[in-house]
Amino acid sequence: MPEEKLPSRPAHVLEDPSAKAVARVYTQAFLNAAASVGVESALEELTSFVDDVLTPHPDFARLLTSEVTGRDEKLQFIDRVVAPHGSEFFTNFLRVLARHERLELLPLILSEAWLEYESRAGKRRVTIRSAVSLSESQLSEIQSRLDAALPFEPILIPEVDESLLGGLVIQVGDTVHDGSLKTRIKNLRHRLKEKYVHEIQSGRDRFSHSEGN
Amino acid sequence: MKFKADEIASVIQKEIEDFKGQIETAEVGRVVEVGDGIARVVGLSSAMAGEMVQFSSGSMGMCFNLEENSVGVIILGDYLQIQEGDEVKTTGELLSVPVGDAMIGRVVDPLGNPLDGKGPIVTSERRPLETVAPGVAGRQPVKQPLQTGIKAVDAMTPIGRGQRELIIGDRKTGKTAIALDTIINQKGGDVICIYVGCGQRNANIAAVVEALRENGAMDYSIVVAASASDPAPLQYIAPYAGASMAEYFMYQGKHTLCVYDDLTKQAQAYRQLSLLMRRPPGREAYPGDVFYCHSRLLERAAKLSDEHGGGSMTALPIIETLEGEVSAYIPTNVISITDGQIYLEPDLFFAGVRPAVNVGISVSRVGGNAQTKAMKKVAGSLRLDLAAFRELEAFAQLGTELDKATQQQLDRGYRMVELLKQPQYQPMHVADQVISIYAGTKGYFDQVPRPRVAEAEAELLQFIRDEKSEVRDAIVETGQLSEETEAQLKAALDEFKQRWAATSAAAQEEQVAEATA
Repeated sequence: MPEEKLPSRPAHVLEDPSAKAVARVYTQAFLNAAASVGVESALEELTSFVDDVLTPHPDFARLLTSEVTGRDEKLQFIDRVVAPHGSEFFTNFLRVLARHERLELLPLILSEAWLEYESRAGKRRVTIRSAVSLSESQLSEIQSRLDAALPFEPILIPEVDESLLGGLVIQVGDTVHDGSLKTRIKNLRHRLKEKYVHEIQSGRDRFSHSEGN
Repeated sequence: MKFKADEIASVIQKEIEDFKGQIETAEVGRVVEVGDGIARVVGLSSAMAGEMVQFSSGSMGMCFNLEENSVGVIILGDYLQIQEGDEVKTTGELLSVPVGDAMIGRVVDPLGNPLDGKGPIVTSERRPLETVAPGVAGRQPVKQPLQTGIKAVDAMTPIGRGQRELIIGDRKTGKTAIALDTIINQKGGDVICIYVGCGQRNANIAAVVEALRENGAMDYSIVVAASASDPAPLQYIAPYAGASMAEYFMYQGKHTLCVYDDLTKQAQAYRQLSLLMRRPPGREAYPGDVFYCHSRLLERAAKLSDEHGGGSMTALPIIETLEGEVSAYIPTNVISITDGQIYLEPDLFFAGVRPAVNVGISVSRVGGNAQTKAMKKVAGSLRLDLAAFRELEAFAQLGTELDKATQQQLDRGYRMVELLKQPQYQPMHVADQVISIYAGTKGYFDQVPRPRVAEAEAELLQFIRDEKSEVRDAIVETGQLSEETEAQLKAALDEFKQRWAATSAAAQEEQVAEATA
């Protein structure tokens, strides 16, 4: 029997907006400090730390984030494990996080750091939703069109949503430009309904008003 | 005329062919938390306070709390359909309700959707739910009466157009009855009535609608219903929706009456929302701005100046007290906002005095200016006389012997109390009220046994209407009780007194004869 995927909560529901806000503060500080000190590979180092150290060694990640491990023990871990391999700047950053007991925010800080890095480079992510998957040439055409229309360089993130039926939905930040067939049909339905209700009502009014039409 | 199927189909086909979809641009967010009529949404970074938002399930919501990282939305509709992760879209509009002549005669929910099964309401006009009340320059003093048709109210706590008169009392003391009688009494007049049922039982609202319909009052009324089973957000916005519908007519220069039944329940709904939104609780756990919640609603009742059309909105808010406790938070708040109150007492109610108005502590701060001259003349001293009677009555219960004058004052008082009783759904014309009260205060009913006062009053009014209609007509036309009319009225009353004495004597004789036979 094929294994059925159990329904689970969508990932973004588990997002904690306040944790994100805190992570953003550390991200800003991290990138600003890196820029002022002149460390260029700070973001790569952070990425590789999360991807190559924490992800393959979940036990180590648990040790760093667990409440059971004390603050001093965490600092000692960092000194013993990270300091010999990583740069001084990155180790200091981890020490600050450990001292503030915010190590569990690392994955969030990483994702925020990339967003921040992109926005500093004049780029923003743009989600493109369509009913069928788009070909390379279509995507590049959208890319060039958006490039001309938007004040920043878009990074396209294509998504497929069959319920759209056709057309495109382009999301930039919180703003959605909806040109999908689904929404158009919904609007048409609403318009037809409104129109005929009015027509029926005016037909009825012709009989009910003493002065006629 | 018969409809042709292909005709309609072709029209629709053309419509579809011509339809050019435009790209819809909206700000979106996602629900992270939902429950008990509220949702917390992330995103919506440019949402306005009070803005209308739409959930992907179709329900509407209103931005209530704008926080640093999220937006608190109150859900106006079925919140059980909404799941975490759902998309929320801004509409760029403040919450508004449909208004207009098409609303009259309908029963609607606080968003203006029909609840009476009489088809859609076709109106293109909308008004925002919350509007700023007319300012100082836009108003004029209250000077035109709003007749309630209830003797006890019109004589002693008169209400003017544009006034805010609170109806306050314990449960089951006839608060709604006074409001309903007032609405029914506007029949044939120029006042558009709006009844807002807020947090009431559905059965009660149905009964109100039925009573209005039976008495022909739905022709000029709108009922806004948010029952106890509706979510708290709908109960919270219901009075504002009613006020918006009334304002539309007011700014057209028409007269309106708005009954908010009742604001205690609305305050409780608001408290629920505020606590769920984690606003800090204050006294009785109500949020700090519960006073503002009611004051901004009741300030919208006004008598507009002539430059603005001279329309008016009279508000009759209703407050339910617990065991007569008027010093609780919400009752004191609303008492201080309104221009007077009609206080109903359970003791009087169970003693059979209905409407159970406590004359001593019911007041009307501005209505006196609006009273018709005739009524002012006959009812001027009624309040004080009745208060004196109440004191005397308490004294007389001690069983002391009373002199003749005191006994007479007592008898007069008992009869006045009888005279001020009035059955439900039977509002009286102001001229009839003037005649009744004049007869009562001048002692024309002193010889009538107490249980028969109501009967005698009915006969008197019938007699005046049938045989002395010129007296009644004079009062109706001029609104005054001139000396000439008063003399005519006196003569008519003397004639009636003699006739009543004769018929009752004959009836007594008959009874005696029957008993002896």
